[in-house]
Amino acid sequence: MTDISLNAEAVKQGPSLGYWQLVRRRFLRNRYGVVGLIGCLFIMLTAVFSGFIAPYAPETKDRSAVYSPPQAIRIMAPEGGLSRPYVLGFREEMHPVTFEITFVPDETARQNLALFVRGDAWTFLGMTFDRHLIGTTDGGFVHFLGTDSLGRDVFSRMIQGTRITLLMGVLVMAASCAVGITIGVTSGYVGGRFDMIVQRVVEFVKSFPDLPLYLALVAILPRRAEPMMIFVMFAAILVLLRWADLSRELRGKVIALRSMDYVRAAVAVGASDRRIIGRHIVPNTSSHIIVWATYQLPEVILLESFLSFLGVGVQAPMVSWGTMLNQVRDFQSFAAAPWLMAPVGMIVISVLAFNAFGDGLRDAMDPYSND
Amino acid sequence: MTEPLLKIENVVVDFRTVTGTVNAVRGVSYEVNRGETLAVVGESGSGKSVTARAIMSMLAENARVGKDTRIWFDGQDLSTCSERQMQKIRGDRISMIFQEPLTSLNPIYKVGDQVAEIIQIHRPMSKKQAMAEVLRLFEEVRLPDPETRVSQYPHEMSGGQRQRVMIAMALANKPDLLIADEPTTALDVTVQAEILSLLKDLQRSHNMAVILITHDLTVVEKTSDNVVVMRYGEVVERGATAEVFANPRHAYTGHLLASEPKGRPDPLREDAEPLMVAEDMRVAFRIAYGGFLNRKYTDLVAVNDISTTVRRGETLGIVGESGSGKTTMGMAIIRLLEAQGGKITFDGARIDGLTRAAMRPLRPRIQVVFQDPFSSLNPRMIVQQIIEEGLIVNGIGASAAERKELVGQALDDVQMPRDAMQRFPHEFSGGQRQRLAIARALALNPDFILLDEPTSALDLSIQAQIIDLLRDLRAKHDLSYMFISHDLKVVKALCHNVIVMQNGNVVERGATSEVLEAPRTAYTQKLVKAAFNVLA
Repeated sequence: MTDISLNAEAVKQGPSLGYWQLVRRRFLRNRYGVVGLIGCLFIMLTAVFSGFIAPYAPETKDRSAVYSPPQAIRIMAPEGGLSRPYVLGFREEMHPVTFEITFVPDETARQNLALFVRGDAWTFLGMTFDRHLIGTTDGGFVHFLGTDSLGRDVFSRMIQGTRITLLMGVLVMAASCAVGITIGVTSGYVGGRFDMIVQRVVEFVKSFPDLPLYLALVAILPRRAEPMMIFVMFAAILVLLRWADLSRELRGKVIALRSMDYVRAAVAVGASDRRIIGRHIVPNTSSHIIVWATYQLPEVILLESFLSFLGVGVQAPMVSWGTMLNQVRDFQSFAAAPWLMAPVGMIVISVLAFNAFGDGLRDAMDPYSND
Repeated sequence: MTEPLLKIENVVVDFRTVTGTVNAVRGVSYEVNRGETLAVVGESGSGKSVTARAIMSMLAENARVGKDTRIWFDGQDLSTCSERQMQKIRGDRISMIFQEPLTSLNPIYKVGDQVAEIIQIHRPMSKKQAMAEVLRLFEEVRLPDPETRVSQYPHEMSGGQRQRVMIAMALANKPDLLIADEPTTALDVTVQAEILSLLKDLQRSHNMAVILITHDLTVVEKTSDNVVVMRYGEVVERGATAEVFANPRHAYTGHLLASEPKGRPDPLREDAEPLMVAEDMRVAFRIAYGGFLNRKYTDLVAVNDISTTVRRGETLGIVGESGSGKTTMGMAIIRLLEAQGGKITFDGARIDGLTRAAMRPLRPRIQVVFQDPFSSLNPRMIVQQIIEEGLIVNGIGASAAERKELVGQALDDVQMPRDAMQRFPHEFSGGQRQRLAIARALALNPDFILLDEPTSALDLSIQAQIIDLLRDLRAKHDLSYMFISHDLKVVKALCHNVIVMQNGNVVERGATSEVLEAPRTAYTQKLVKAAFNVLA
């Protein structure tokens, strides 16, 4: 006889790769997705350590510099040759004819930059720190992205704003996932009249014009409401209008999964509905849920900044990218201080990063591709 | 000596996957002459279809063809052809028939238009001329009533008719070479025989070369001149069909040849008491039709007042073509499907009308093995979790260690190594998965197992192993089976008694040997003829 095992085929040897390991491998081959993932991590780290990365607290005002333009980091010393990084302060000059005020770099107001300098206190997990990633050696102000009408540092506020914007995104995403999964899975699994009613509700929610509802929020909420209260209400209304999509998609998936043989086999061994949903149906929709969630985040970020820009969303003193943009509502301030648009850059980067990550995940989680 | 029509040399195809490179085909060479049929035989995963697709340059995107691969077709090297040149050859000089006729026809076009399109791409002619040509082709492939067929959509036809349309499409431009990739696997046995004889006749009248890819050795023996046996991407044996069948040189070929399901069921004890009794089972599906305002309902009766008895230790075969209601009846008897009427008695106790909760204590004793092992195992669970589930749910085994031992015993029973426990289903082949599905049923120590076509998704050589396994397990654990199948060869090897079903009714019943050797009704005669004499 030869070495061929005739009765049973050889069972695969070597390490066993689970579903998630396969997904990871497939994901890491996709360069665009990996870049997206790095971008997402960068944004999330910024949000978590915003107190450390931002040179100043969001409310710290530099009264000597209102509408001051961005200061460039210089490494060429005026006398020639390399020097340690420094910035130059500004001298205000008035145009003799138009009386327009212009800012001219002042060679004499040189401030050296340093890493890990002391500055405003910030808290993290209940602990208070005062070290910042970057600052000046002598404690003077430096504004990498200029200042706003009150002399607050745009760069610091933009970094701090990541927190609220992302918190809003994650909160809305998590809550609408929870609601969408519960309703979608139950509706698909139970079926019948319950499913019929739930789906009509979903259609009602989906047919609702969302913008008027957001605007109506301003009217509903008391004028003197806490900003935190408005933040939560705002998130709640976003969730109210967003769970419907996921629940409808999941319902379809669950209906398909319900008739799979492995679910029927579980019924045949006597498994309860709870076990079938928890062990067989939800795990097999998890990839769908995760991809949906990754796509939700950038959508919520965009919506938040849009509504806060209109003054409807997050309210001051909370700092988000949208509320920062709210300061550039009129054309004069846009023309005089275009650097106030800096949060737009962060919005674009984060939306691109989360979408790229979502695309990569969706491709990696396709169970039918084996390439 | 004339040059062969197609000669492939040293075909190598690799697939790049996440888990590494898979060498699907490793240096395969064969040749076909005009007017000759070459059968390429092997189990699934042996690379036989991939080689055929390499000839057509129709490989998936992640495939890499080896540097030394040469494909000579009528003196031209196809491996150096551009995509544009290949488009001229495909469908004109070489055409292909696929396994699944439902998915290879476009559902939104009429079949006549689809065939006419192929003709018009390669031979400029008016639509009218093309349609006349289509009609001629449909007559040639013996489609009944060809004039009405041309304006039908694929869903209006049966599987066999669709495969005839596919053949007409393949023949549309009088190809020199026809590649048939498992053309009959997805069809009912009775239809298989007709399609194979049709292919054979057409080959003779067109003097085509045919490459027939199959795992069915009976088909090979009856239809081919030469045969190539493939395993793990390599050719293990080649030669004239008659010679190879008479005198296989390679052990693997011998194994394939010996893999016809054979043997007889061990005799049934005379005094065996009835275990599962179903009386007057009736299952009907309500179908809505008519418009929005005048909605009407009609009941489609899938199982029409059928009574059966399975005795302890008995295997009852239920045979019929697809759509005859055999699976519906099986599922209704084990209460996985709600029946509209009938009385079911299991081990002396009535089980019809029991709620799901009331059925639960009985579930371990009544088990089921499904047809498709690819969808019956949850892809997110490891084998241990899959087999253990029934034990946990029914509170069998006091501790995790005890349950693990029971899972191990079930794996031993189905002759799978115990290391399989920590692996995911996708790491196993079809036959191995079906063993795992059987292990899941066995772990609960059942009395009765419903086997719903457990072998029809598997290769022939694996089928025989599964049948042997089922027979051994029946004796070892004193099991009773209800075995649903359309394959009479398998039924003959395993079942004591058999019921033949057609359109929800029983047309014949009795001891297997009697029914199969002296079928009384025309329908049974047709089934028997199709199963035991492939070519009509």
